[in-house]
Amino acid sequence: MLSFFSSDVFRTVVGALNTGFLQTLRLFAVTLAGAIPLGLLISFGSMSRWAPLGFLCAEGQHPVLRAIWGFRPVSALCRLLVWVIRGTPLMLQLIIIFFIPGMILDSGSPWPGGESGRFLAAAIAFILNYACYFSEIYRGGIQSVPLGQQEAGLVLGMTRSQIFFKVTLLQMVKRIIPPMSNEIITLVKDTSIARIISLQEVIWAGYAFMKGSHGYSGLWWPLLFTGIYYLIFNGALTLFFGWVERRLDYFR
Amino acid sequence: MPILDVHNIEKHFGATRVLDDISFSLEAGQALAIIGSSGSGKTTLLRCLNFLEKPNGGTIAVRDKVIFDAADPATQRPADIREKRLHFGLVFQNFNLFPQYTALQNVTLSLHLRDKEDAAGRRAGKDRHKAAIDQRGLELLAQMGLSDRAGHYPHQLSGGQQQRVAIARALALQPDVLCFDEPTSALDPELTGEVLKVIRGLAQQHTTMIIVTHEMAFARDVADQVIFMDGGVIVEQGPAQQVIEHPAQERTRQFLSRYAEN
Repeated sequence: MLSFFSSDVFRTVVGALNTGFLQTLRLFAVTLAGAIPLGLLISFGSMSRWAPLGFLCAEGQHPVLRAIWGFRPVSALCRLLVWVIRGTPLMLQLIIIFFIPGMILDSGSPWPGGESGRFLAAAIAFILNYACYFSEIYRGGIQSVPLGQQEAGLVLGMTRSQIFFKVTLLQMVKRIIPPMSNEIITLVKDTSIARIISLQEVIWAGYAFMKGSHGYSGLWWPLLFTGIYYLIFNGALTLFFGWVERRLDYFR
Repeated sequence: MPILDVHNIEKHFGATRVLDDISFSLEAGQALAIIGSSGSGKTTLLRCLNFLEKPNGGTIAVRDKVIFDAADPATQRPADIREKRLHFGLVFQNFNLFPQYTALQNVTLSLHLRDKEDAAGRRAGKDRHKAAIDQRGLELLAQMGLSDRAGHYPHQLSGGQQQRVAIARALALQPDVLCFDEPTSALDPELTGEVLKVIRGLAQQHTTMIIVTHEMAFARDVADQVIFMDGGVIVEQGPAQQVIEHPAQERTRQFLSRYAEN
């Protein structure tokens, strides 16, 4: 048994899976780096009260007229985006983003050739998809901070941005850690969906040994072995989120 | 010369009239108590003074300068409202302390932020008077009898202590008029006393205050003037002793008699 772990085939497989998991981690990190701030923008957008025709609203108007004049374009656009993105499979979004531009543009596919093009398309699809989920978690977190906190900031002469960054943000972060850790752990596993456009992440690397890769074929255990990578990484994430929660335990 | 002049303030939410023709003035160093049953518009009036609600009519003048006129949009520019708010402080019924900050940080946050903005033009981001501001915060907490609680977080404090921190926080910006919105309504009777004692101390130092309260004995003893509100209008106003012990209006008598029974 021990000789198996020192065999050439084991070392070859682990090397290939390591390379694949590195790609998994890159997609994971890039998605987080993009979706965390973009989600905040979308959540602000969906909470926007800007109504360009709002001045036409008047008391006693017909409800239909009020709805028309009170239309909030930014909020409507953001909610539409969230509905479409959350309402369709990530796999479909990946396929659309990767293949459709090349089929309708005269100049051909805008994506660079090879793995870098696949990675770029995957990163854009994942960032957009996860930003929409994050935006709803943020919105819930922001709206769960009592209004009195904002009012206390206002009567102390604070600006809206001071209130957000100095008062609301940390209280919101504390509240959204559990749902965010759920989403982020899901993201680790969702990166495998990028396989549909042949991104060479860890599942792709493990599956390759069934068909034939690095001179081996018909090997089924490398695919099972990829699960260990996910388990270890998600275990580390779980520990990390537990640590963050404890760090924020000092206030209620 | 009155420090505050409120004239014909009107406020409605949709078709509901919450405040109607509210006028009163307040001399510097005096305490005004506003009494009345729930829903009579007391809290809305305080929220109008602090620009948390926008009155639909009337004017508000501080030191003879009109800072709000419902008929004059030039007095309602959002950019100026932030500065105008600083004429007033507000102590909330539910304290609304910032949970992630210690008692001292709650008191000094607004001062630190302003200092950062002032430093060599806006948003220079440098807090020049950090030590002096913290010193001032400690003095305010000492005045509230909370010297040994400066490093405590709100959830580690009793309701009475939290409310006293909130009073110190409102005093930090040295408002012209300090407003209290039922400051003891969320407290046990045992904790009410410690908060009332602090407010009494402020009155003795001639802090200009408006206190919305259900504590009639406290209003009589501490306030110089009392306003009784009912249904969004001022039914009666006058010297505290007179309004509470010898009310002229039948509605005031009815209201006060309910307190006498309890």
